[in-house]
Amino acid sequence: MIEFKQVNKHFGSLHVLQDINLTVKEGEVTVICGPSGSGKSTLIRTINQLESISAGDIWVDGKSIFDPSRSLNALRKEIGFVFQQFNLYPHLSVLENITLAPRKLNNLSAAAAETKALELLEQVGLSDKRHQYPAQLSGGQQQRVAIARALAMEPRVLLFDEPTSALDPEMIGEVLSVMKKLAHSGITMMVVTHEMGFAREVADQVVFIDHGQIIEQAVPHTFFHHPQHARAQQFLQQLLNPLHVQEVLL
Amino acid sequence: MNGYQLDWWAVLSGQPREWLFSGIWMTFRLTVFSSLLATVIAVILLAMRLTTSRLLQGIAASYITVFRNTPLAVQFLFWYFGVIPLLPELWRDWLNETHIYAGFTFPSMELIAGIWGLGLFSAAFIAEELRAGVRAVSAGQFEAARSQGLSAWQTLRYVILPQALANSWQPLIGQYLNLMKNSTLAMSIAVAELCYQVNQIESYNLHAIEAFAVGSLIYLLLGLFLSSSLDAFGRVIFKHKRSHSHG
Repeated sequence: MIEFKQVNKHFGSLHVLQDINLTVKEGEVTVICGPSGSGKSTLIRTINQLESISAGDIWVDGKSIFDPSRSLNALRKEIGFVFQQFNLYPHLSVLENITLAPRKLNNLSAAAAETKALELLEQVGLSDKRHQYPAQLSGGQQQRVAIARALAMEPRVLLFDEPTSALDPEMIGEVLSVMKKLAHSGITMMVVTHEMGFAREVADQVVFIDHGQIIEQAVPHTFFHHPQHARAQQFLQQLLNPLHVQEVLL
Repeated sequence: MNGYQLDWWAVLSGQPREWLFSGIWMTFRLTVFSSLLATVIAVILLAMRLTTSRLLQGIAASYITVFRNTPLAVQFLFWYFGVIPLLPELWRDWLNETHIYAGFTFPSMELIAGIWGLGLFSAAFIAEELRAGVRAVSAGQFEAARSQGLSAWQTLRYVILPQALANSWQPLIGQYLNLMKNSTLAMSIAVAELCYQVNQIESYNLHAIEAFAVGSLIYLLLGLFLSSSLDAFGRVIFKHKRSHSHG
C-alpha cells in the first residue's frame, strides 16, 4: 500500500531521513517510534507531501506519489492526517469541521454530508457535541473530532502524528480506544506515537527510528522482548521503566 | 463673537439643503462602491502574496508599496487628468454617458474616477490588515486544510480568510472609516460629494462656520453609523469568538 524506496531528506546540513526503505501493507497498522527529533514525524509527513524529500521515491497504491499523472489534492483526499495539535478549524462548529471537505471536494449535499458526519460522531462518541465549537471541547474530544474529520473523506490511509502527545493523561485513553476500533477495519494506519501499550496490542509492525534511520523493524512481540539494537533497548528502557534507566545502562 | 449671528437655517434650508442631501448621497455611493472595489482587490492581493510564485508575490508587494506611499490626492489627479485622457475615445464617450445599474445612476466620469482612485488606494491598506490577520492564523490550519485535499484557493476561502477577518476585524473597521473620510479628497477631481457641497454652501452664502459645522456633524454621524454597523456585523458572523468560555 505504502512503500518508501531509498528515501532521503536533507534540511540544510541536517540529514533528516537516511536511506529509508519501508513497506506498509494494506489494512495493517504500523507504529513508528523513536526519540524526539529522530525524524519520525517527518517520515509520515512525506507521504502526503506536507514535507518534501531530497531523493528516493514513495509509492502509494502501486504508483509513485510524484507521478505527473497524479494530482496532489486527489492523493491527499485518499490519505487522512491526524495532527498532534488537532488543528480543528476554530471558526467552524464540530459538524462543519467534519462536513467542509466532503462538501467542497466531493460535492456532497449539506444533508448527505451531515448524515455521514453524525454517523462518524457516533463512532467517536461525540454525537452530543455536534453544535459546539472546538474551543468548547477538551483536548481528547477535539482529537476525536479530528479523527472523525479525517474519516469523513473515506480515506484508504490514516496517518497519525503523535495524536496523544498534547493530551492530559486522563484523555489519552479515549483517543487510543477510538484508534483501536479503527485498526484492522480495512483502513491502513501509520501511527507515530510513544504509546507502547497501543503498539504492543494493536500494531502489526513496529518501526524504530533514530537519527533519521530505521534502526529496527519487527512485529511487536519481537520488538518488545528481543530488541536487537542497543539504541532500541535503551529507548524501550527509558519509556517502560524511566526510573531505573541508569541501572541498566551502568 | 464680533457681533456675528449664527444662522443655521441658512445652511439647512433651500438650495443649501438640497446640496447637503446630494452631497450625502454622493459620499454614500463613493464610499460603498469604493469599499467593494477595495475589498475585491485586497483579497486578490492577499491571494497573490500567499502563493508560492515569487512573481505574483512581487507584483502584490510592489502594488502595496506604491499605493501606500503616495498621497491619495496625487493619485486622484493622476487617474483623472493623467489616465482618462489616454483612454480610447469610445471608452471616454461610454464613461461620459449616463448609465443606470440596479437603481444607481452613474452620470459622471468624475464619480467613476473617484471610486476607482479611492478603491485602488484603500485596497493596499486593507490588504495589509488582512495579511496581519493571516499571520495570526497558525500554520497548522494551512496544513490541516491542505492535508484534506483542499486547493490553495479553497483553503484561503473557507479556512484562512474567515479566521483572518475575525483577527483583524477592528483594524479593518478603521480602514473602512478612513476610506469614508478619504472620500473628501475626491473633491479635487470635482466629485460633488459632501465636502465639495459644504464648500459650495460657504461660497454661496458665506455661512462658513455653520456649513462646516453641519458638514462635520454629518461625517461624524456617518462614521458612527459605519463603525457601529460593522462592529455589530462582526459580532454576528464571528460566532466562535464568542464561545471561548469553556476553554
